[in-house]
Amino acid sequence: MTISAQQETVFSNNQLSVEEIPSLQTLALLPISKKYRTLNILSIGLIALVLIGIASALRFQSFWSLPEGLLQAYPYVVAGIVAVGSLWALYHFFADVRIFYAIREQDISKQSGLIFRKLSCQPILRVQHVEVNRGPLDRWAGLASLQVFSAGGEMHTFEIPGLSIERAEQLREFILAHKDIGAR
Amino acid sequence: MTISETPSHQAPTLNQSKELKEDTALKSHGQDANMEEPKLKVETGDEWQRLSLISILYFTIRNFTNSAQVLIYTIPALAISFNIWDNLLSPEVLIGAGILFLSTSVSGVISFLMYKFRVHNQHVEIHHGVFQRRYTNLPLWRIQNVKIERPFYYRPFGYALVVLDTAGSGKEEAKIVAVPEDYAEALKKQVLYEKALHDEGDLDCLPNEDLSDEQSSSFPTPRTRTKAIDSSHSNEEVLNRRSVKDIIIHGITNNRVWIILGAAAPFYDDVFGLVSEWLADKGLQLNQLVGEQTVAWWQFGLYAFVILMMLMALVALLSVGGALFTFYGYTLSRTGDRYIRRSGLLNKLEVSMRASRIQMITAKQDWLDKILKRVNLYFEQNSTAGQQMQELMSPNKLIVPSVTEDEAFALSQEVMPGCDLRGQDYQTISKRFITFWLLAGWTLPFITFFTIGAVSSHLDIMLGSLVVFSAVSLLLTLRWWRWGIAYDSKYVYIRRGRIGIDYQCFEPYKAQQVIVKQSVFMKRRKQATVKFVLASGAVTVPFLPEDYVNKLADSVLFEVESTRRSWM
Repeated sequence: MTISAQQETVFSNNQLSVEEIPSLQTLALLPISKKYRTLNILSIGLIALVLIGIASALRFQSFWSLPEGLLQAYPYVVAGIVAVGSLWALYHFFADVRIFYAIREQDISKQSGLIFRKLSCQPILRVQHVEVNRGPLDRWAGLASLQVFSAGGEMHTFEIPGLSIERAEQLREFILAHKDIGAR
Repeated sequence: MTISETPSHQAPTLNQSKELKEDTALKSHGQDANMEEPKLKVETGDEWQRLSLISILYFTIRNFTNSAQVLIYTIPALAISFNIWDNLLSPEVLIGAGILFLSTSVSGVISFLMYKFRVHNQHVEIHHGVFQRRYTNLPLWRIQNVKIERPFYYRPFGYALVVLDTAGSGKEEAKIVAVPEDYAEALKKQVLYEKALHDEGDLDCLPNEDLSDEQSSSFPTPRTRTKAIDSSHSNEEVLNRRSVKDIIIHGITNNRVWIILGAAAPFYDDVFGLVSEWLADKGLQLNQLVGEQTVAWWQFGLYAFVILMMLMALVALLSVGGALFTFYGYTLSRTGDRYIRRSGLLNKLEVSMRASRIQMITAKQDWLDKILKRVNLYFEQNSTAGQQMQELMSPNKLIVPSVTEDEAFALSQEVMPGCDLRGQDYQTISKRFITFWLLAGWTLPFITFFTIGAVSSHLDIMLGSLVVFSAVSLLLTLRWWRWGIAYDSKYVYIRRGRIGIDYQCFEPYKAQQVIVKQSVFMKRRKQATVKFVLASGAVTVPFLPEDYVNKLADSVLFEVESTRRSWM
C-alpha cells in the first residue's frame, strides 16, 4: 500500500475522545421550501388531468367507434387514475415536509422519507461535481434541486430537491469554494 | 516479461526538478544515452506512425465480429423467410457470404489505412475511424490503466495490443492496435513512470534543494522516492500463481459456463433440437412423460434426477473449460505500487491496477468452496457507471480465482496490511430482519396461494406454498445468521451470505457517502440500517442497534473528513 495522503502544511492529529467526534444525531436540520410540496401535488394533479383528458377524448370522440368493452371500462379507468393520483399526492403531502437538509463544515446531509427515514451524508471532500437542476415547473415556482455527484456512481447521486434558487446557488458556491474540492 | 534496464544514475550536480526531468528524458530518449536497447524509445517523434501489417488481421476480425453481432439478430428473420439450410450451397448464399467476407477484409485494410498514431511530447495521439474520424489525445500522465492484450494470432509474430484508459468515462479509451511487444512493454513502463512522477509532483510541490546531495538521501525526498518507484517497476514480484488444478477447481465451484455458452449462443436452437431428437431416439419423450400419467411419480423423479445429474456434469465440464480459457497460466504480481494479473489460454490478457485504487477486498466462498476450502478473492476498483464489462475481464475487479484460505489471508494482508477477515468479532443483525422480510415480502403471497389452494381444494398448491414459505424463512434465517459488521481502528469488515460466506473489507476513509436508514418501526426498536457508498459499489448492513450504527457512521465520516486521504 502506498500512502498517498495529502500532507497538510500544518498538520494536527490530536487524540479525540469518542464524544468529540461530530455526531450526525446533533445535526441542525433545515426544512426545504414549502412550495416543493405544493408543486409536487400540483404536477400530480396535472398529470392525472392530462391522462383523464386523453381517456375522455378517446371516449367521446366521434371519428371512430370503440369496442363496447372499452366504453364500459372508461369510468373505471378514470377512477383508477384518480385513486392512484390521490394516493401519490397524499404521499407527497406527508413526505415532502419531512425532507430536511443540513450543512456542516465538511459535509452535507439530507434526511427524507415517510416510513423509511433515510439520512445520507456526503462529505464534500468526495464531491466530484455539483449541478443545480431546474425543470420547467421548478423555474415557474422559483425552485431548484441541487445534485451532488461523487464517485459512488449514478445510483448514489446526492440530491436535495425543492430548494429556493438562491439557496441552491449558495450551496453550490459553498461546495465549490470548499478547499477540499478538487483534492479528489 | 520484464525488460532489464541499466540503472542510470546522473551525477547529483543538478537541482532536484531538473534531475527529474533529466530522468524522464533519459528514459524516453533512450538512444541519446548509452542504452543498448534503442527499441525502448517510446516517443515516435513528429511523424505519424502506421501500425504493423498484422493489425489488418485484427481490424478484419473486429469488423467481422461487429457485423456478425448485428447479423445474429437478422438470422432468425432470414431463416424464416428463406430456408437457409436447404439452400446452403446455392449460388445466392455463396455469393452473399463471399461479398460479406470480401467487404470485411477490405474494411480491415481500410481501417488499417485510416489509423495512425504517434507518441509525442508525452502525449499519445491517435487518428482513427473510417466514416467517423476520431482523434484521441491522451497525456501519458492521465492514463490510469495500461492493458496489454495478445490475441493468439499476434503471438507468433510478437505483437501486442495496448489499451490505455483514463479514470474518467469508459469511453475515453485508446487502443494502439498492433505494436511490437517490446514497444508495448516500454510504453507501459513509460506511462507508469510518468504517472508515478506526476503523482509525486502532486504530493510534494516543493523540491528541497538543500537535500539534493547523495549523502542526505536517506530522507524520502521526491527524488529517491521516484527512483524507488522506477526501480521497482522493473523488478516484478509474483505474488500468486494458479496451477491447472486450481483452475479446474475454480471451474467446478464457480459457474463459468457462460464463457462457453456465450460464445455458443447462436447455436442454441439447433442444439436443443438435436438433444430432443436424440432423446426421442432413445425412446424418451418428454411430452409423454409429463403429459400422460403412464409412469409412476418416482420413476419420473428418477428420470428427472438422472437428467439433472447429466446436465450438471456437462455444465461442470463446460465450466472447467471456460475457467481454463480465461485463467490458464494465471499470475498475480506486483511491481511498485501496482498489481498485475496475467492469464488466458488463447488470448493472453493483462490487467494492472494501482494498489491505492483498490476500494475493497471481497472474499467469496460458496458452499462448494467451503467444502473444498477455497476462496475467490476480488480486489475491487472504482466501477465507472454504465460500463458493462464482463466480470472476469473487467479491470475494475481483479480476481484471484480459488485460492486456499491461507493464501487468501496472505493476499488480503498484502493489499490491506493488518486486515483479518475471519478474526473479527462481528456485530450480528437483529432477528427482526427475518420477521420483517417474512411479513413484508412473503406473507401476502403465501396466504394468497394457500387460500387459493384451500378454496379450490388443491392440496399440491397448499403444500407447495408451505414448502416455498419455509424454504424462504430458512434462507432468511441463514442470511440473518451470517450478516454482520465489525470495525477496528483501520478497517470496516462485513460478513454476509446464505450458505456460502462472503467477507468484505474496506478502509473507512475511502467511503464516498454514508447513509443511515430507519423505518418508524425500527426507530421504536432502536435499530437502524447502515449503508456505505464506495467507489466500487455500496455495502449495506440492516437491522443493527441504533447506537452502533450512529457511532460507526460518525467515525467513518470523521475518518474521511479528518484524514482527507484520496480514495484513488
